[in-house]
Amino acid sequence: MEQREAAEPALKRTRDREPAARDEEQLVERLKSGDHQALEAIFRLHSNKVFQLAYKLTRDRTESEEVVQDVFLTVYQKVRGFRGGSRFSTWLYRLTVNAALGRLRRKKRSKEVSYEDFLPQFQPDGHHLERPVVDWSNDVETRSSGRELQDLLTRALNQLRPQDKAVVVLSDLEGLRDQEIAKTLGLSVAAVKTRLHRARLFLRGQLAVHLGYSPT
Amino acid sequence: MAKATGSAKMRLLKSDTCKEATSLLLDYLAGTLPPKVKRAFERHLSICPDCVSFLKTYQKTIRLTQSFLSQNIAAAKLVHVERSLSRRLKKSKRSR
Repeated sequence: MEQREAAEPALKRTRDREPAARDEEQLVERLKSGDHQALEAIFRLHSNKVFQLAYKLTRDRTESEEVVQDVFLTVYQKVRGFRGGSRFSTWLYRLTVNAALGRLRRKKRSKEVSYEDFLPQFQPDGHHLERPVVDWSNDVETRSSGRELQDLLTRALNQLRPQDKAVVVLSDLEGLRDQEIAKTLGLSVAAVKTRLHRARLFLRGQLAVHLGYSPT
Repeated sequence: MAKATGSAKMRLLKSDTCKEATSLLLDYLAGTLPPKVKRAFERHLSICPDCVSFLKTYQKTIRLTQSFLSQNIAAAKLVHVERSLSRRLKKSKRSR
């Protein structure tokens, strides 16, 4: 991070070009050989993406800034072990998810809520426990203000277990395939699907209860 | 539930209940149900308004969550983060 003036022309060149894989590889090689300017260039290329992903997981600006620091410190410390089997940006992505997850785990969830209270329930014959099931999909936004929905989803997402929240973000927002999520989080594909389905059911149940209906 | 989903796929063909249909929602929306199971699932929907409502609200939940999560925070000014990182790097080098 020192010698910013000397690094500036090189950085400008880096910023002016698309961060293509080749450029990225060169920066990584320079960083491996101890070139601090390369770290600065990598930081400027990727720090906002790291911050945005961290924010999606933590919903907290300060925590997300800490994640950015953690990630780039890890990059500096472990880059020699990065063998290039995957893209550097993929590695960075994994480091970000794991750093954010670590912080979410350390931070106590806002309130321990039982998933079971918001999951659908069924009669012994397999029908929905409470019938009819109300279709509120068309009027949820007219019956709740945007602010109310935001608060509800913030609270509900914070009540998810950290790994479940990560699965929701990576799947429903980032559009990763189950296999990629499994690899990123160190889970089996079956576990990813289980967690995603339960998390969605839990969020759906929260919305239903908010509107005055049974989660069933 | 995903483990159960495999067996649920088979069970749906036999028992055709709302419970089994609900366990197939994720695979149905992902388009990963085998054709025979998909047909059975859709047959169940055609006679079960409760499961149609459940499916619609499940989909709506996904859309609302996506819309909420995709609100990017304004690009952060990460200059102070870069400075803090620089300090941590120096500290880390000294302790080596």
